[in-house]
Amino acid sequence: MSEYILELKGITKIFPGVKALNNVQFQLKPGEVHALMGENGAGKSTFIKVITGVHKAEEGEMFLNGQKVDFKGPRDAQAAGIAAVYQHPTSYPHLTVAENIFMGHEIIKNHMIQWKAMNTEANKLLKELNADFDATAEMGALSVAQQQMVEIAKALSTNAKIIILDEPTAALTKSESEELYRIVDKLKAEGVSIIFISHRFEDMYRLASRITVFRDSQYIGTYDVDGITNADLIKAMVGREISDLFPKPEVKLGKEMLRVEGLSRTGYFKDVSFSVRAGEIVGLTGLVGAGRTEVVESICGITTPDSGKVYLEGQEMHIKQPSEAMEKGIILLPEDRQKEGLIMSWGLGRNVTLPTISKYAKNGFNDEKTERELSKNLLEEVDTKAVDIFQPASSLSGGNQQKVVVAKALSQEMKVVIMDEPTKGVDVGAKAEIYAIMGDLAQKGYAIILISSEMPEILGMSDRIIVMCNGRKTGELSREEATQEKILELAMEKGQSGKGAK
Amino acid sequence: MAGKSGRSISATPENTLKKTIFSWEGVLVILFIAVNIFCMTISDVYNLKNVLREMPKYLAEIFLLLPMAFILVLGEIDISVGSIVCLSATVSCMVCNKGIPFICVILVGILVGTACGMVNGAILTKFDELPPMIVTLATQIIFRGIAEIALGSGGSVSLSNADGFRAIAGRVGIVPYIFFLVIIFAVIAAVILGKTTFGRRVYAMGTNRLTAYYSGVHVKKIRFLIYTVMGALAGICALFMVSSSYGANTTTGSGFEMDAIAMAVFGGISSTGGKGNLAGGIISAFIIVCLRIGLGQVNMNPQLILLILGVLLICAVALPNVIAEIKNARKVASRK
Amino acid sequence: MEKKSIMKKITGSREALLLVVLILLCAAVSLRSPSFLSVQSIMEMLKNNAVTMIMSLGMLCVMLVGGIDISIMSTLAFAGMSVGMLLKYGHVSSTLLCFLIAMGIGIICGFLVGLVISRAAVPPIIATMGFMYIYRALAYLVGNSEWAGADALGSFKDFALGSILGLNNVIWVTIICYVIFFFFMKWTRTGRKIYAVGSNPSAAEVSGINVKNIKLLVYSIMGFLGGLGGALAVSIYASAQPNMQYGKEMDVIAACVIGGVSMSGGRGTVIGALLGSLILSVIAKALPIIGFESIYQNTIKGVIILVVVVVNVVMQRASDKNNLKGREM
Repeated sequence: MSEYILELKGITKIFPGVKALNNVQFQLKPGEVHALMGENGAGKSTFIKVITGVHKAEEGEMFLNGQKVDFKGPRDAQAAGIAAVYQHPTSYPHLTVAENIFMGHEIIKNHMIQWKAMNTEANKLLKELNADFDATAEMGALSVAQQQMVEIAKALSTNAKIIILDEPTAALTKSESEELYRIVDKLKAEGVSIIFISHRFEDMYRLASRITVFRDSQYIGTYDVDGITNADLIKAMVGREISDLFPKPEVKLGKEMLRVEGLSRTGYFKDVSFSVRAGEIVGLTGLVGAGRTEVVESICGITTPDSGKVYLEGQEMHIKQPSEAMEKGIILLPEDRQKEGLIMSWGLGRNVTLPTISKYAKNGFNDEKTERELSKNLLEEVDTKAVDIFQPASSLSGGNQQKVVVAKALSQEMKVVIMDEPTKGVDVGAKAEIYAIMGDLAQKGYAIILISSEMPEILGMSDRIIVMCNGRKTGELSREEATQEKILELAMEKGQSGKGAK
Repeated sequence: MAGKSGRSISATPENTLKKTIFSWEGVLVILFIAVNIFCMTISDVYNLKNVLREMPKYLAEIFLLLPMAFILVLGEIDISVGSIVCLSATVSCMVCNKGIPFICVILVGILVGTACGMVNGAILTKFDELPPMIVTLATQIIFRGIAEIALGSGGSVSLSNADGFRAIAGRVGIVPYIFFLVIIFAVIAAVILGKTTFGRRVYAMGTNRLTAYYSGVHVKKIRFLIYTVMGALAGICALFMVSSSYGANTTTGSGFEMDAIAMAVFGGISSTGGKGNLAGGIISAFIIVCLRIGLGQVNMNPQLILLILGVLLICAVALPNVIAEIKNARKVASRK
Repeated sequence: MEKKSIMKKITGSREALLLVVLILLCAAVSLRSPSFLSVQSIMEMLKNNAVTMIMSLGMLCVMLVGGIDISIMSTLAFAGMSVGMLLKYGHVSSTLLCFLIAMGIGIICGFLVGLVISRAAVPPIIATMGFMYIYRALAYLVGNSEWAGADALGSFKDFALGSILGLNNVIWVTIICYVIFFFFMKWTRTGRKIYAVGSNPSAAEVSGINVKNIKLLVYSIMGFLGGLGGALAVSIYASAQPNMQYGKEMDVIAACVIGGVSMSGGRGTVIGALLGSLILSVIAKALPIIGFESIYQNTIKGVIILVVVVVNVVMQRASDKNNLKGREM
């Protein structure tokens, strides 16, 4: 028998144009909780998918209990006792909880599904996890935390020996996270080995005994939790001292550009007020689901707020759709580049000019020549790594795609630029370039709102930091007073009381 | 700015002549010529004069193809157009029989169509969660249903005074008016879709509606407009239908939506949105029209013609997919 | 908590709501015309709508995986005409054989449709539109501009006249189909796979379900029921014509939509399809009774579909908004 229950060596996975994993290794001891850490885009999720057989690695070997294995598909991994709980639950929203748990290995007798047996069995599993819902509930009606519990129950129902949790706490409140910690402890006590992906240091300290760090698709190292300091770990993840990464220029702040007063939208956020001055970068942070994106979407007219006022340069605005916001000078660079930011099958040039085509069109006819010139200049200005302006956006790496999104904002006269997670899934090099562009914009007098979940980024780039929790603004910190601990405290504390709204 | 590495990005378009010839439109032109040669060999009476003489009754459907192309590029579908044609034809016949001036009859025909289109557009923009398929399915039944009610138990109406409609069925030399009108409309529609900001936005919406919306495209306005224009052109189509049959009945225009969609899809306009152009659609429309005339002249069973069209339609969509799949499979195999 | 969930089950259940509507509808009509609820009249109604009712089962499967099939009535006509011609020229005379032939033709037709949709990735609406032309044309070509009347069909038409245990054969076939599908959709793995594919295709793929084969299966089922419907229609109406049931696919889709089957897949039940088609049949039968001429029928049918889908959206929006209000902040 091998010392390790699971061992991977020399794994390389190539996607068109990107090396998502480059010769990485990993060892999992029986019965341990092993944290897998790294920045967004470091290759963690791809690695998980290689383990679970969803992706097939081009190179490398995988050993289970010392035996070499070769998974053809997710079924093989499941049969071998490996189960994964993904970041986005891969459930069937229209079906019941019990069915979701037993999909693929239903309890069958005489070719008939045994609903009663399945429901009792599922309820047993749910009870073990202290779930407060029934197995006959419809999956789509559950909260994310509850759905995650179902996914864990599903993993348990296959008698998995290795369970992989991919950012399980990202969408949970503090009390829900505590519940999850309890479940993980319990699984560990039962001898299940767990791979745990998380951005939150708290999760790691609370649960893991060892940590493996990936960076830029490469293996950096494996450490004992007790033997590594916070600073060293961040250095391992980011690859350099934080101060080098964020070239925050000193900008003399101008007049107030955007002011938001008491903005509310039922069920999403409540009574949010803040302001941004010209040349200022305001960081907007909080946990996923805190309502950050929803607030800026309401400012830009993508959704309509129920109450509250938005002022641009002292003038109250009533924006009903994004086009009006753009005319006034506010642009949102959305979080999801592939779904909201870019048209992936279109050439870069057309993507850049989409918001502004009518500006240089002649009598409604496209002026393709001007368009080409303009988009070329803008793409060069943000230093996009591209051959020509006709290649499709999908052919670029994440970082360069983000630059194209930024170029879209530059194609017109803007006053306020809102960037939602601009460095999500971007490699470190491109990150630094995007920060540099951000700094330049601030120097030019743009007012910038930066939404981010990444602590170093928020701390490094913002003049002021606004923290949101559960739909409410819980605090505002200046650059000087902000620390990681203070932000986390504001981002998490009020959620558990459950009475914040009063 | 950050772009200090001095990297330069090319902005000169490739020479597109080669591309044009090997594009789907190029194939269609060749196919168009082939179809005409084929028809001439099988039919002795297949010549320009006869083709132009028989054309009007088929040409009317091209009015539907044009806006249908916009709707398909949006990634949507409108299966109520055949019923709009029916309702519009019925109403214009009826008002014509009341003896009002013919120009008013034309206006009424177009207005009825426009109103129907607006109903579709209004429902679809107001309740944008609904798939266009189901909404236009319902309005398809409703519009034809209203025509049925208007027509009463007889189920048909014929013109008591056909002078006006006979006039619009007239010709310049051997070329019927409708031919000119179709060409003018087709050129306008093709230019709007291909060369204007409006067209660009339609493509953007069809490829990625969310991105288009975030980039400031008036998604609702454009959808409403396109469905309304669809109705208006269905009204024009209806007028020409009346002018060739001097009346209307409950089956007028039935199946037209399918014909229009088939023409567009065969012309390379993807029903999943964002792809294709009207040049392809219009050439394919003429291929189908010529094929129908030619096969009709040799008295081929009209059902057999429909069968051929059905096979063509499926092959036009399926073949590229199958070829792509085979290529993909080969790539994977060669990598191993 | 418990109470709330029970209440929610009753008010939230689509089927319960439909049943209430159906009962109210029947009650209202029978007030006007007491003979409406007589056994004979109900039997007549069921027999005349058997084809639609059976086909809605297939449409349920197709719509569950997020597809649509508008070629079904062409399949029906093709199968029906084939049987009619075989009978007319005396190639076959056995009723059972006729049914088998019709169902066989149906399966082949459906299989081809499924092949094109699942393997060549043609959008269902385009593919079935093409096959609608093709199969209808085949129905005409099989007939060779002839049709089979009552006398040509011989004993075959007696099937729809005969009865077992006082219940018409056609109704028996309908009941058997519904019972089989009820079990198939609820209690077998394959049935649940259909739901899974419709609910979340990518998750289904990850959990090892062969999505393509499931799609192939549902269109084959649809074709099979189309073939069965063809044989039944020939028997019920005692004639086989190439244009039979033209345009009636909309009725089948309408029955499913009214029955709560979602156009985007994943949601819908056998009971829903049954209630949907029953409601549609009752309305069709009731209209003349309450003084509407039959020419109003289509308009009213269309309006009902529209109202049903719009009300769905409005209710969904209201419930979403309610859920949001309940979120603590």
